[in-house]
Amino acid sequence: MPQTETYILNMGPQHPSTHGVLRVNLELDGERILRATPMMGYLHRGIEKLLEARTYVQGVPYTDRLDYVSSMNNNFGYCRAVEELAGIEVPERAEYIRVIMAELNRIASHQVFIGSLANDLGASTGMLYTFRDREEILDLFDLVCGARMTFHYIRVGGVARDLPPEFAEKCRKFLDRVPEFTAEYANLLMGNEIFQRRLKGVSRLTPEQALAHNMTGPNIRATGIPFDIRKVDGYSVYPRFGFEVPVGENGDNWDRFQVRFREITESARIVRQALDGLPEGPVMAKFPKMLKPPQGEVFSRTEGTRGELGFYIVSDGTAKPYRVHIRRPSFINMQALDDMCRGYLIGDSVVAFSAIDPLMGEVDC
Amino acid sequence: MFGKGLMTGMGITIRHFFGRKATFCYPEEKLTMTEHFRGGHLTIDYKKCIACQLCAIQCPNQAIKLKVVTDANRKRHLESYVHSMGRCLYCDLCIEGCAPHALSWDKNYEISTWHKEDLVHQVITDEDRAYLADVMARAAANPTPPPAPKAPPKPAAKPATPSPETEVKPGE
Ligand code: SF4
Ligand code: SF4
Repeated sequence: MPQTETYILNMGPQHPSTHGVLRVNLELDGERILRATPMMGYLHRGIEKLLEARTYVQGVPYTDRLDYVSSMNNNFGYCRAVEELAGIEVPERAEYIRVIMAELNRIASHQVFIGSLANDLGASTGMLYTFRDREEILDLFDLVCGARMTFHYIRVGGVARDLPPEFAEKCRKFLDRVPEFTAEYANLLMGNEIFQRRLKGVSRLTPEQALAHNMTGPNIRATGIPFDIRKVDGYSVYPRFGFEVPVGENGDNWDRFQVRFREITESARIVRQALDGLPEGPVMAKFPKMLKPPQGEVFSRTEGTRGELGFYIVSDGTAKPYRVHIRRPSFINMQALDDMCRGYLIGDSVVAFSAIDPLMGEVDC
Repeated sequence: MFGKGLMTGMGITIRHFFGRKATFCYPEEKLTMTEHFRGGHLTIDYKKCIACQLCAIQCPNQAIKLKVVTDANRKRHLESYVHSMGRCLYCDLCIEGCAPHALSWDKNYEISTWHKEDLVHQVITDEDRAYLADVMARAAANPTPPPAPKAPPKPAAKPATPSPETEVKPGE
Protein backbone atom coordinates (compact mmCIF):
# COMPACT_ATOMS: atom_id res chain seq x y z
CA MET A 1 0.00 0.00 0.00
CA PRO A 2 1.75 3.22 -1.11
CA GLN A 3 1.88 5.99 1.46
CA THR A 4 1.43 9.65 0.57
CA GLU A 5 2.90 12.50 2.55
CA THR A 6 2.28 16.20 2.66
CA TYR A 7 5.22 18.40 1.89
CA ILE A 8 6.22 22.00 2.45
CA LEU A 9 6.88 24.35 -0.43
CA ASN A 10 8.34 27.80 0.02
CA MET A 11 6.93 30.29 -2.41
CA GLY A 12 9.11 33.38 -2.44
CA PRO A 13 10.64 35.59 -1.15
CA GLN A 14 12.05 35.93 -4.66
CA HIS A 15 9.07 34.97 -6.74
CA PRO A 16 7.80 36.95 -9.70
CA SER A 17 4.23 37.02 -8.44
CA THR A 18 4.70 37.94 -4.81
CA HIS A 19 4.83 41.68 -5.59
CA GLY A 20 7.84 42.27 -3.47
CA VAL A 21 9.42 40.04 -0.93
CA LEU A 22 6.79 37.85 0.63
CA ARG A 23 7.45 34.25 1.46
CA VAL A 24 4.49 31.91 1.71
CA ASN A 25 4.96 28.58 3.36
CA LEU A 26 2.62 26.16 1.58
CA GLU A 27 1.79 22.76 2.94
CA LEU A 28 0.74 20.68 -0.02
CA ASP A 29 -1.00 17.41 -0.62
CA GLY A 30 -0.07 16.89 -4.23
CA GLU A 31 -1.35 20.03 -5.93
CA ARG A 32 -3.86 20.91 -3.20
CA ILE A 33 -3.00 23.45 -0.56
CA LEU A 34 -3.60 22.32 3.00
CA ARG A 35 -2.20 25.38 4.72
CA ALA A 36 -0.65 28.65 3.61
CA THR A 37 1.38 30.64 6.10
CA PRO A 38 2.64 34.06 5.05
CA MET A 39 6.11 34.80 6.41
CA MET A 40 6.82 38.48 6.60
CA GLY A 41 9.57 40.85 7.51
CA TYR A 42 11.83 40.84 4.47
CA LEU A 43 11.15 44.50 3.80
CA HIS A 44 11.05 45.73 7.37
CA ARG A 45 12.62 49.18 7.69
CA GLY A 46 11.28 50.20 11.07
CA ILE A 47 9.27 53.13 9.79
CA GLU A 48 7.40 53.50 13.09
CA LYS A 49 10.70 53.96 14.89
CA LEU A 50 12.02 56.28 12.20
CA LEU A 51 8.96 58.46 12.70
CA GLU A 52 9.58 58.55 16.44
CA ALA A 53 13.10 59.86 15.86
CA ARG A 54 11.98 62.76 13.69
CA THR A 55 9.80 65.81 14.12
CA TYR A 56 6.18 65.63 13.05
CA VAL A 57 6.83 67.55 9.85
CA GLN A 58 9.93 65.56 8.96
CA GLY A 59 8.00 62.31 9.30
CA VAL A 60 5.76 62.87 6.30
CA PRO A 61 8.22 61.72 3.59
CA TYR A 62 8.64 58.43 5.45
CA THR A 63 4.96 57.63 5.15
CA ASP A 64 5.45 57.79 1.37
CA ARG A 65 7.45 54.63 1.66
CA LEU A 66 4.77 52.57 3.38
CA ASP A 67 2.48 51.84 0.50
CA TYR A 68 4.56 53.27 -2.28
CA VAL A 69 1.85 52.81 -4.90
CA SER A 70 -0.53 55.16 -3.09
CA SER A 71 1.71 57.56 -1.26
CA MET A 72 -0.82 60.38 -1.31
CA ASN A 73 -3.24 58.38 0.80
CA ASN A 74 -0.52 57.64 3.35
CA ASN A 75 0.51 61.29 3.56
CA PHE A 76 -3.15 62.12 4.00
CA GLY A 77 -3.65 59.67 6.85
CA TYR A 78 -0.56 60.73 8.75
CA CYS A 79 -1.18 64.44 8.32
CA ARG A 80 -4.78 64.09 9.48
CA ALA A 81 -3.60 62.32 12.62
CA VAL A 82 -1.00 65.01 13.41
CA GLU A 83 -3.49 67.79 12.73
CA GLU A 84 -6.01 66.20 15.04
CA LEU A 85 -3.35 65.89 17.71
CA ALA A 86 -2.14 69.47 17.37
CA GLY A 87 -5.57 70.97 16.67
CA ILE A 88 -4.67 72.47 13.32
CA GLU A 89 -7.49 73.73 11.10
CA VAL A 90 -6.81 72.91 7.47
CA PRO A 91 -7.96 75.49 4.88
CA GLU A 92 -10.84 74.37 2.72
CA ARG A 93 -8.98 74.61 -0.56
CA ALA A 94 -6.29 72.34 0.84
CA GLU A 95 -8.93 69.78 1.84
CA TYR A 96 -10.31 69.76 -1.69
CA ILE A 97 -6.86 69.37 -3.20
CA ARG A 98 -6.14 66.54 -0.80
CA VAL A 99 -9.28 64.70 -1.83
CA ILE A 100 -8.43 65.17 -5.52
CA MET A 101 -4.95 63.77 -4.95
CA ALA A 102 -6.11 60.87 -2.79
CA GLU A 103 -8.72 59.80 -5.30
CA LEU A 104 -6.39 60.12 -8.29
CA ASN A 105 -3.95 57.99 -6.39
CA ARG A 106 -6.67 55.45 -5.67
CA ILE A 107 -7.28 55.16 -9.42
CA ALA A 108 -3.55 54.72 -10.05
CA SER A 109 -3.30 52.08 -7.35
CA HIS A 110 -6.25 50.10 -8.68
CA GLN A 111 -4.70 50.25 -12.12
CA VAL A 112 -1.61 48.63 -10.69
CA PHE A 113 -3.86 46.01 -9.12
CA ILE A 114 -5.63 45.20 -12.37
CA GLY A 115 -2.36 45.12 -14.27
CA SER A 116 -0.56 42.89 -11.83
CA LEU A 117 -3.54 40.57 -11.46
CA ALA A 118 -3.62 40.15 -15.21
CA ASN A 119 0.11 39.61 -15.23
CA ASP A 120 -0.12 36.97 -12.52
CA LEU A 121 -2.72 35.15 -14.57
CA GLY A 122 -0.34 35.08 -17.51
CA ALA A 123 -1.85 37.98 -19.46
CA SER A 124 1.16 40.25 -19.41
CA THR A 125 -0.39 42.53 -22.03
CA GLY A 126 -2.98 43.62 -19.50
CA MET A 127 -0.27 45.14 -17.41
CA LEU A 128 0.97 47.35 -20.25
CA TYR A 129 -2.44 48.91 -20.79
CA THR A 130 -3.04 49.78 -17.15
CA PHE A 131 0.46 51.14 -16.70
CA ARG A 132 0.11 53.27 -19.80
CA ASP A 133 -2.93 54.98 -18.27
CA ARG A 134 -1.36 55.19 -14.83
CA GLU A 135 1.42 57.22 -16.44
CA GLU A 136 -1.07 60.00 -17.05
CA ILE A 137 -1.87 60.23 -13.36
CA LEU A 138 1.81 60.17 -12.49
CA ASP A 139 2.36 63.01 -14.95
CA LEU A 140 -0.31 65.00 -13.15
CA PHE A 141 1.40 64.34 -9.83
CA ASP A 142 4.75 65.25 -11.34
CA LEU A 143 3.24 68.55 -12.36
CA VAL A 144 1.98 69.43 -8.88
CA CYS A 145 4.75 68.09 -6.70
CA GLY A 146 7.74 67.22 -8.86
CA ALA A 147 7.82 63.50 -8.17
CA ARG A 148 6.27 60.48 -9.79
CA MET A 149 6.40 58.35 -6.67
CA THR A 150 6.97 59.22 -3.01
CA PHE A 151 5.10 62.46 -3.50
CA HIS A 152 5.39 64.19 -0.13
CA TYR A 153 2.77 66.62 -1.36
CA ILE A 154 0.16 66.49 1.39
CA ARG A 155 1.79 68.14 4.39
CA VAL A 156 0.88 68.72 7.98
CA GLY A 157 -1.50 71.71 7.81
CA GLY A 158 -2.34 71.57 4.12
CA VAL A 159 -0.52 70.81 0.91
CA ALA A 160 2.98 71.74 -0.21
CA ARG A 161 2.00 74.25 -2.88
CA ASP A 162 -1.00 75.36 -4.82
CA LEU A 163 -2.07 73.60 -7.99
CA PRO A 164 -0.38 74.89 -11.14
CA PRO A 165 -2.79 76.75 -13.45
CA GLU A 166 -2.78 74.09 -16.13
CA PHE A 167 -3.64 71.30 -13.70
CA ALA A 168 -7.43 71.56 -13.85
CA GLU A 169 -7.52 71.31 -17.60
CA LYS A 170 -5.12 68.38 -17.76
CA CYS A 171 -6.96 66.60 -14.99
CA ARG A 172 -10.29 67.00 -16.77
CA LYS A 173 -8.74 65.64 -19.91
CA PHE A 174 -7.67 62.57 -17.97
CA LEU A 175 -11.12 62.19 -16.38
CA ASP A 176 -12.69 62.30 -19.82
CA ARG A 177 -10.56 59.34 -20.76
CA VAL A 178 -11.68 57.23 -17.78
CA PRO A 179 -14.73 55.64 -19.47
CA GLU A 180 -12.60 54.95 -22.54
CA PHE A 181 -9.88 53.05 -20.77
CA THR A 182 -12.15 51.23 -18.34
CA ALA A 183 -14.07 49.95 -21.36
CA GLU A 184 -10.80 48.86 -22.82
CA TYR A 185 -9.84 46.92 -19.70
CA ALA A 186 -13.28 45.36 -19.67
CA ASN A 187 -13.00 44.21 -23.27
CA LEU A 188 -9.45 43.10 -22.88
CA LEU A 189 -9.80 41.16 -19.66
CA MET A 190 -13.29 40.77 -18.29
CA GLY A 191 -14.75 39.12 -21.35
CA ASN A 192 -11.92 36.64 -21.49
CA GLU A 193 -13.10 33.16 -20.52
CA ILE A 194 -9.78 32.10 -19.05
CA PHE A 195 -9.68 35.19 -16.89
CA GLN A 196 -13.23 34.55 -15.65
CA ARG A 197 -12.64 30.92 -14.86
CA ARG A 198 -9.51 31.64 -12.91
CA LEU A 199 -11.36 34.18 -10.74
CA LYS A 200 -15.02 33.18 -10.42
CA GLY A 201 -15.80 31.11 -7.35
CA VAL A 202 -12.15 30.91 -6.33
CA SER A 203 -10.93 31.89 -2.86
CA ARG A 204 -14.38 32.58 -1.52
CA LEU A 205 -14.74 34.29 1.82
CA THR A 206 -18.01 34.73 3.67
CA PRO A 207 -18.75 38.12 5.24
CA GLU A 208 -18.32 36.50 8.68
CA GLN A 209 -14.88 35.22 7.77
CA ALA A 210 -13.86 38.58 6.38
CA LEU A 211 -15.05 40.30 9.54
CA ALA A 212 -13.31 37.77 11.73
CA HIS A 213 -10.07 38.53 9.90
CA ASN A 214 -10.72 42.23 10.34
CA MET A 215 -10.39 42.81 6.61
CA THR A 216 -11.10 46.27 5.29
CA GLY A 217 -11.18 48.09 2.01
CA PRO A 218 -12.14 46.46 -1.27
CA ASN A 219 -11.53 43.05 0.25
CA ILE A 220 -14.39 43.34 2.71
CA ARG A 221 -16.61 45.17 0.24
CA ALA A 222 -16.24 42.22 -2.12
CA THR A 223 -18.04 40.06 0.45
CA GLY A 224 -21.00 42.41 0.42
CA ILE A 225 -20.34 44.57 3.48
CA PRO A 226 -20.44 48.22 2.40
CA PHE A 227 -17.77 49.37 4.83
CA ASP A 228 -16.03 52.43 3.50
CA ILE A 229 -14.56 54.94 5.96
CA ARG A 230 -15.16 57.76 3.53
CA LYS A 231 -18.89 57.07 4.09
CA VAL A 232 -18.80 55.74 7.66
CA ASP A 233 -16.71 58.54 9.19
CA GLY A 234 -17.28 61.14 6.51
CA TYR A 235 -13.91 62.72 7.17
CA SER A 236 -12.41 65.69 5.33
CA VAL A 237 -14.81 67.01 2.67
CA TYR A 238 -16.02 63.61 1.46
CA PRO A 239 -19.63 64.10 2.67
CA ARG A 240 -20.01 66.91 0.12
CA PHE A 241 -19.52 64.57 -2.82
CA GLY A 242 -21.91 62.04 -4.23
CA PHE A 243 -20.39 58.63 -4.82
CA GLU A 244 -21.36 55.00 -4.53
CA VAL A 245 -19.57 52.30 -2.62
CA PRO A 246 -19.37 49.30 -4.95
CA VAL A 247 -19.93 45.96 -3.20
CA GLY A 248 -19.66 42.39 -4.36
CA GLU A 249 -21.88 39.41 -3.63
CA ASN A 250 -19.89 36.23 -3.42
CA GLY A 251 -16.64 37.32 -1.87
CA ASP A 252 -14.60 35.52 -4.51
CA ASN A 253 -11.68 36.82 -6.51
CA TRP A 254 -13.95 37.95 -9.30
CA ASP A 255 -15.80 40.25 -6.88
CA ARG A 256 -12.55 41.62 -5.51
CA PHE A 257 -11.58 42.50 -9.04
CA GLN A 258 -15.01 43.96 -9.83
CA VAL A 259 -15.12 46.12 -6.72
CA ARG A 260 -11.81 47.77 -7.53
CA PHE A 261 -12.69 48.08 -11.17
CA ARG A 262 -15.89 49.95 -10.32
CA GLU A 263 -14.14 52.09 -7.74
CA ILE A 264 -12.07 53.64 -10.53
CA THR A 265 -15.21 55.18 -11.99
CA GLU A 266 -16.45 56.32 -8.57
CA SER A 267 -13.12 57.94 -7.72
CA ALA A 268 -13.17 59.74 -11.04
CA ARG A 269 -16.63 61.05 -10.11
CA ILE A 270 -15.30 62.42 -6.82
CA VAL A 271 -12.35 64.10 -8.53
CA ARG A 272 -14.63 65.77 -11.03
CA GLN A 273 -16.95 67.12 -8.33
CA ALA A 274 -13.99 68.34 -6.29
CA LEU A 275 -12.52 70.11 -9.32
CA ASP A 276 -15.86 71.79 -9.98
CA GLY A 277 -16.27 72.93 -6.41
CA LEU A 278 -12.65 73.88 -5.73
CA PRO A 279 -12.76 77.02 -3.56
CA GLU A 280 -10.16 79.78 -3.60
CA GLY A 281 -7.98 80.51 -0.61
CA PRO A 282 -4.78 79.53 1.10
CA VAL A 283 -3.49 75.96 0.93
CA MET A 284 -1.51 75.89 4.15
CA ALA A 285 -2.62 76.46 7.72
CA LYS A 286 -0.60 78.71 10.01
CA PHE A 287 1.19 76.95 12.83
CA PRO A 288 4.58 77.30 14.49
CA LYS A 289 7.46 75.89 12.52
CA MET A 290 8.57 73.74 15.41
CA LEU A 291 5.33 71.92 15.98
CA LYS A 292 4.86 70.71 19.55
CA PRO A 293 1.43 69.14 19.98
CA PRO A 294 0.08 69.04 23.53
CA GLN A 295 0.43 65.84 25.51
CA GLY A 296 -2.06 63.21 24.50
CA GLU A 297 -2.80 60.51 22.00
CA VAL A 298 -4.83 60.18 18.86
CA PHE A 299 -6.03 57.42 16.58
CA SER A 300 -7.09 58.68 13.22
CA ARG A 301 -8.23 56.50 10.34
CA THR A 302 -8.73 57.15 6.68
CA GLU A 303 -9.73 54.98 3.77
CA GLY A 304 -6.49 54.08 2.08
CA THR A 305 -6.57 52.28 -1.22
CA ARG A 306 -6.18 48.94 0.51
CA GLY A 307 -8.43 49.50 3.48
CA GLU A 308 -8.52 51.24 6.79
CA LEU A 309 -5.26 53.11 7.26
CA GLY A 310 -4.91 54.15 10.87
CA PHE A 311 -2.27 56.20 12.62
CA TYR A 312 -1.96 56.04 16.38
CA ILE A 313 0.30 58.80 17.67
CA VAL A 314 1.23 59.55 21.26
CA SER A 315 2.66 62.97 22.01
CA ASP A 316 4.64 63.78 25.13
CA GLY A 317 4.60 67.49 24.37
CA THR A 318 7.99 67.57 22.64
CA ALA A 319 8.78 68.12 18.99
CA LYS A 320 8.95 64.40 18.25
CA PRO A 321 6.22 61.82 18.69
CA TYR A 322 6.63 59.52 21.66
CA ARG A 323 5.06 56.57 19.88
CA VAL A 324 3.69 55.99 16.41
CA HIS A 325 1.78 52.90 15.45
CA ILE A 326 0.48 52.39 11.96
CA ARG A 327 -2.49 50.17 11.27
CA ARG A 328 -1.58 48.95 7.84
CA PRO A 329 -4.49 47.46 5.92
CA SER A 330 -2.34 45.15 3.79
CA PHE A 331 -0.81 43.56 6.84
CA ILE A 332 -4.16 42.75 8.38
CA ASN A 333 -5.74 41.63 5.11
CA MET A 334 -2.88 39.18 4.66
CA GLN A 335 -4.23 37.08 7.52
CA ALA A 336 -6.98 35.83 5.28
CA LEU A 337 -4.50 34.26 2.85
CA ASP A 338 -4.73 30.91 4.61
CA ASP A 339 -8.52 30.76 4.36
CA MET A 340 -8.38 31.89 0.76
CA CYS A 341 -5.89 29.21 -0.27
CA ARG A 342 -7.06 26.16 1.65
CA GLY A 343 -8.30 23.44 -0.66
CA TYR A 344 -7.32 25.21 -3.86
CA LEU A 345 -4.49 24.47 -6.27
CA ILE A 346 -1.03 26.03 -6.14
CA GLY A 347 -1.81 28.19 -9.12
CA ASP A 348 -4.76 29.68 -7.25
CA SER A 349 -2.57 30.77 -4.37
CA VAL A 350 -0.89 33.23 -6.71
CA VAL A 351 -4.26 34.63 -7.69
CA ALA A 352 -5.46 34.77 -4.08
CA PHE A 353 -2.38 36.65 -3.13
CA SER A 354 -2.79 39.06 -6.00
CA ALA A 355 -6.48 39.59 -5.22
CA ILE A 356 -5.80 40.67 -1.64
CA ASP A 357 -3.56 43.29 -3.26
CA PRO A 358 -1.02 43.68 -0.49
CA LEU A 359 1.98 45.92 -0.87
CA MET A 360 4.98 44.55 0.92
CA GLY A 361 6.24 47.98 1.89
CA GLU A 362 3.10 48.35 3.93
CA VAL A 363 2.94 44.79 5.25
CA ASP A 364 6.44 44.88 6.69
CA CYS A 365 6.40 48.61 7.38
CA MET B 1 -19.88 31.84 -27.60
CA PHE B 2 -16.67 30.47 -26.22
CA GLY B 3 -13.74 32.51 -27.43
CA LYS B 4 -15.71 35.68 -27.98
CA GLY B 5 -13.89 37.46 -25.15
CA LEU B 6 -10.59 36.46 -26.64
CA MET B 7 -11.55 37.87 -30.02
CA THR B 8 -12.63 41.22 -28.47
CA GLY B 9 -9.31 41.40 -26.65
CA MET B 10 -7.37 40.64 -29.79
CA GLY B 11 -9.34 43.34 -31.59
CA ILE B 12 -8.07 45.91 -29.11
CA THR B 13 -4.53 44.67 -29.50
CA ILE B 14 -4.71 44.94 -33.26
CA ARG B 15 -6.17 48.44 -33.08
CA HIS B 16 -3.30 49.55 -30.88
CA PHE B 17 -0.80 47.81 -33.10
CA PHE B 18 -1.61 50.29 -35.84
CA GLY B 19 -2.32 53.16 -33.46
CA ARG B 20 -0.14 55.86 -32.01
CA LYS B 21 2.88 54.73 -30.01
CA ALA B 22 2.76 55.32 -26.26
CA THR B 23 6.52 54.99 -25.82
CA PHE B 24 9.56 56.76 -27.18
CA CYS B 25 13.20 55.90 -27.73
CA TYR B 26 14.69 56.79 -24.38
CA PRO B 27 18.44 57.28 -24.67
CA GLU B 28 18.08 59.10 -27.99
CA GLU B 29 15.10 61.21 -26.99
CA LYS B 30 14.90 62.74 -23.55
CA LEU B 31 12.11 64.21 -21.54
CA THR B 32 12.27 67.65 -20.07
CA MET B 33 11.45 67.66 -16.40
CA THR B 34 8.66 69.69 -14.86
CA GLU B 35 9.20 72.94 -13.00
CA HIS B 36 9.17 71.44 -9.53
CA PHE B 37 10.97 68.22 -10.42
CA ARG B 38 12.85 66.85 -7.45
CA GLY B 39 15.85 64.84 -8.41
CA GLY B 40 19.44 64.95 -9.46
CA HIS B 41 22.15 66.88 -7.72
CA LEU B 42 21.66 69.73 -5.33
CA THR B 43 23.07 72.96 -6.69
CA ILE B 44 23.74 76.06 -4.70
CA ASP B 45 23.82 79.68 -5.69
CA TYR B 46 26.86 80.42 -3.59
CA LYS B 47 26.50 84.19 -3.51
CA LYS B 48 22.94 83.99 -2.22
CA CYS B 49 23.71 81.55 0.59
CA ILE B 50 23.94 83.10 4.05
CA ALA B 51 25.29 79.93 5.69
CA CYS B 52 22.38 79.72 8.10
CA GLN B 53 22.47 75.89 8.08
CA LEU B 54 18.70 75.68 8.03
CA CYS B 55 18.81 73.25 5.12
CA ALA B 56 20.85 70.77 7.13
CA ILE B 57 18.56 71.17 10.14
CA GLN B 58 15.45 70.60 8.04
CA CYS B 59 16.78 67.42 6.47
CA PRO B 60 15.07 64.40 8.03
CA ASN B 61 17.87 62.02 7.21
CA GLN B 62 21.00 64.11 7.78
CA ALA B 63 21.91 63.92 4.11
CA ILE B 64 23.51 67.36 4.13
CA LYS B 65 26.82 67.99 5.83
CA LEU B 66 28.19 71.51 5.72
CA LYS B 67 31.06 73.41 7.23
CA VAL B 68 30.85 77.11 7.96
CA VAL B 69 33.71 79.58 8.30
CA THR B 70 33.52 83.10 9.68
CA ASP B 71 35.56 85.79 8.00
CA ALA B 72 37.23 88.76 9.66
CA ASN B 73 34.05 90.78 9.17
CA ARG B 74 32.15 88.19 11.21
CA LYS B 75 30.20 87.10 8.12
CA ARG B 76 29.60 83.40 7.72
CA HIS B 77 30.40 81.48 4.55
CA LEU B 78 30.16 77.88 3.49
CA GLU B 79 33.45 76.09 3.37
CA SER B 80 32.15 72.75 2.25
CA TYR B 81 28.74 71.42 1.41
CA VAL B 82 28.30 67.68 0.92
CA HIS B 83 25.07 66.08 -0.23
CA SER B 84 24.88 62.32 0.34
CA MET B 85 22.48 61.27 -2.35
CA GLY B 86 22.34 57.77 -0.94
CA ARG B 87 20.72 59.12 2.20
CA CYS B 88 18.50 61.62 0.46
CA LEU B 89 14.74 61.11 0.38
CA TYR B 90 14.27 63.80 -2.29
CA CYS B 91 11.65 65.30 -0.03
CA ASP B 92 12.41 68.95 -0.87
CA LEU B 93 12.41 70.06 2.78
CA CYS B 94 15.92 71.53 2.46
CA ILE B 95 14.97 73.64 -0.53
CA GLU B 96 11.76 74.85 1.07
CA GLY B 97 13.64 75.67 4.24
CA CYS B 98 16.18 77.88 2.50
CA ALA B 99 14.98 81.43 3.02
CA PRO B 100 17.20 83.17 0.38
CA HIS B 101 16.29 80.49 -2.24
CA ALA B 102 19.91 79.55 -2.77
CA LEU B 103 19.30 75.81 -3.28
CA SER B 104 17.82 74.04 -6.26
CA TRP B 105 17.86 70.72 -8.06
CA ASP B 106 19.68 70.40 -11.34
CA LYS B 107 16.83 68.20 -12.72
CA ASN B 108 19.19 65.60 -14.03
CA TYR B 109 17.49 62.24 -13.81
CA GLU B 110 20.45 60.15 -14.90
CA ILE B 111 22.26 60.04 -11.59
CA SER B 112 22.87 56.33 -11.11
CA THR B 113 26.47 55.53 -10.28
CA TRP B 114 28.68 52.46 -10.39
CA HIS B 115 29.97 52.88 -6.86
CA LYS B 116 28.37 53.80 -3.59
CA GLU B 117 31.08 56.38 -2.93
CA ASP B 118 30.07 58.31 -6.04
CA LEU B 119 26.75 59.09 -4.41
CA VAL B 120 28.47 61.62 -2.18
CA HIS B 121 28.21 64.84 -4.08
CA GLN B 122 30.29 67.98 -3.46
CA VAL B 123 27.88 70.81 -4.04
CA ILE B 124 30.42 73.63 -3.85
CA THR B 125 32.37 74.08 -7.08
CA ASP B 126 35.95 75.27 -7.56
CA GLU B 127 34.59 78.59 -8.71
CA ASP B 128 32.77 78.97 -5.39
CA ARG B 129 35.96 78.11 -3.54
CA ALA B 130 37.91 80.74 -5.43
CA TYR B 131 35.18 83.22 -4.59
CA LEU B 132 35.36 82.21 -0.92
CA ALA B 133 39.16 82.63 -0.85
CA ASP B 134 38.75 86.03 -2.44
CA VAL B 135 36.12 87.14 0.10
CA MET B 136 38.15 85.85 3.01
CA ALA B 137 41.28 87.65 1.80
CA ARG B 138 39.42 90.90 1.29
CA ALA B 139 37.83 90.66 4.73
CA ALA B 140 41.19 89.88 6.32
CA ALA B 141 42.70 92.95 4.65
CA ASN B 142 39.93 95.16 5.97
CA PRO B 143 38.74 93.61 9.25
CA THR B 144 35.93 95.05 11.32
CA PRO B 145 37.12 95.83 14.83
CA PRO B 146 35.82 93.46 17.47
CA PRO B 147 32.61 94.67 19.12
CA ALA B 148 33.36 97.22 21.79
CA PRO B 149 32.65 95.67 25.17
CA LYS B 150 31.71 99.05 26.61
CA ALA B 151 28.68 99.36 24.34
CA PRO B 152 25.56 99.85 26.45
CA PRO B 153 23.04 97.00 26.39
CA LYS B 154 19.97 97.66 24.29
CA PRO B 155 17.06 96.18 26.21
CA ALA B 156 14.39 97.72 24.00
CA ALA B 157 15.69 96.38 20.71
CA LYS B 158 15.64 92.76 21.74
CA PRO B 159 12.37 90.86 22.14
CA ALA B 160 12.06 89.16 25.50
CA THR B 161 11.34 85.72 24.09
CA PRO B 162 12.26 84.46 20.65
CA SER B 163 9.18 84.00 18.52
CA PRO B 164 8.28 80.36 17.83
CA GLU B 165 8.64 80.99 14.10
CA THR B 166 12.37 81.40 14.37
CA GLU B 167 13.11 79.07 17.22
CA VAL B 168 14.83 76.18 15.47
CA LYS B 169 17.46 74.31 17.37
CA PRO B 170 20.12 72.26 15.60
CA GLY B 171 19.63 68.55 15.91
CA GLU B 172 15.87 68.65 16.30
S1 SF4 C 1 19.42 77.07 4.04
FE1 SF4 C 1 20.07 78.13 2.16
S2 SF4 C 1 21.13 79.96 2.93
FE2 SF4 C 1 20.99 78.56 4.68
S3 SF4 C 1 22.92 77.38 4.61
FE3 SF4 C 1 21.39 76.19 3.46
S4 SF4 C 1 21.70 76.84 1.34
FE4 SF4 C 1 22.70 78.40 2.61
S1 SF4 D 1 15.69 66.45 -0.23
FE1 SF4 D 1 15.16 65.93 1.90
S2 SF4 D 1 16.48 64.20 2.40
FE2 SF4 D 1 17.34 65.16 0.55
S3 SF4 D 1 18.87 66.57 1.32
FE3 SF4 D 1 16.96 67.75 1.09
S4 SF4 D 1 15.97 67.63 3.10
FE4 SF4 D 1 17.56 66.05 3.06
